[in-house]
Amino acid sequence: MKKHPIRLNVNGTEYDLLVAPNRTLTQALREDLGLTGAKHGCGVGDCGSCTVLLNGAPVNSCLVLAVQADGSNITTIEGLAEGTSLHPLQTSFIEKGAIQCGFCTPGMIMSAKALLDHSDRPTAREIREALSGNLCRCTGYQKIVEAVSDAAENMSRGGRKES
Amino acid sequence: MLLPAFEYHRPTGLAEAFEVLDHYAGKARVLAGGTDLLVNMKRKTVAPKQLVGLERVAELLGVRAGNGRIEIGARETAARLAGAGGIARDLGVLAMAAAKLGSPQVRNLATIGGNLCTARPAADMPLPLLVLDARVVLAGSAGEREVGLDAFFAGPGQTVAQPKEILTKVVIDRAEPGTGGGFVKLGLRRTLEIALVNAAALLTLDVDGKTIKKARVALGAVAPTPIRAPEAERVLLGKVASDELFAHAGEAAKQDARPITDHRGSATFRLEMVSVLTRRALHQAWENAREQ
Repeated sequence: MKKHPIRLNVNGTEYDLLVAPNRTLTQALREDLGLTGAKHGCGVGDCGSCTVLLNGAPVNSCLVLAVQADGSNITTIEGLAEGTSLHPLQTSFIEKGAIQCGFCTPGMIMSAKALLDHSDRPTAREIREALSGNLCRCTGYQKIVEAVSDAAENMSRGGRKES
Repeated sequence: MLLPAFEYHRPTGLAEAFEVLDHYAGKARVLAGGTDLLVNMKRKTVAPKQLVGLERVAELLGVRAGNGRIEIGARETAARLAGAGGIARDLGVLAMAAAKLGSPQVRNLATIGGNLCTARPAADMPLPLLVLDARVVLAGSAGEREVGLDAFFAGPGQTVAQPKEILTKVVIDRAEPGTGGGFVKLGLRRTLEIALVNAAALLTLDVDGKTIKKARVALGAVAPTPIRAPEAERVLLGKVASDELFAHAGEAAKQDARPITDHRGSATFRLEMVSVLTRRALHQAWENAREQ
């Protein structure tokens, strides 16, 4: 397999990589860049654990070849906190008990982030719709929906909430 | 799940893509959104040795209206088409179906061309396109041809596209005034679901706002390919629209369907649902047509 040189902007940092064609974006992020926030779950686009933002839009990174993402901007869960200050979504997930085992959390938060980037005060229905590609086997979703709703409220009330 | 090994080609234009397909004598597979092909490769049901990625081929992007027709680039994603406002009368029914495909993450990747070429009997985007009388443009180094979508599907996973051809765009005619569409999908859950049965309808009302001038019904997951429902359409044509008439058309649609029994539902259940979904899709189409 001939490897391909690619450039990815991940969380604001440019990376030059040489990747085999069969390397997925999940693998490139986790194994080549050491960004293990995005989880490798089902591997076939069903569970949403590997969700990252590709040029601002949530995608299953297990269904994107790293080579296909050449030249793209990628945001992962590692790109949300600013220093020790958590993103309001991260804070509200903790406060609302929306995290249990935590495996689905990075993907959930990335899907929620994409929603809140376009919608200030989403309805519960819109939140459920936005998270419909992310499976959680612990929480029953109610607390997750509440956490996203809470984060939206906090953000519209005055930007980022210090943790 | 790991992907098997393959060589990757990254053409920057269609001409270059055709060269690669010709060079490998049609043995290379085209990769667009990847939500189907990469899954099948991980599951080892297909193992192409050469992949031609279309991500740099800009000619395959864009929705263009002109000359009474609309051309949709094959690489337009379900998410983009689900949000295709502005030309609601023409693409409204496509937007409804695109919004029901997979999950938000899948919709950001999955393309209209890919959804057609995959040719799954339960796929969501073929139905609105069938009721819109869509054509697809198949292009290769030898030139291009336009094929009606009703003649495009050859069986589950099979189309009339040749291995050296690329589906470059979908073409539909601009809708007449008084046209509205409907799309209904039945699954065991609301998202990330493959339809048990799905149905699309398109109605064009006469100037009186009641008489059905043009009627189209399409059904999914009830035959080896997505199909039109000519019996249902025949019932509707020239009649005054009403819920009773739609119920009648729903019954007629059963004659167009040939469902099978599988682990997700029985043929008997699917047939009943054909009738219900046809009626609901027609009702939606009627409401949307009256708004135009």
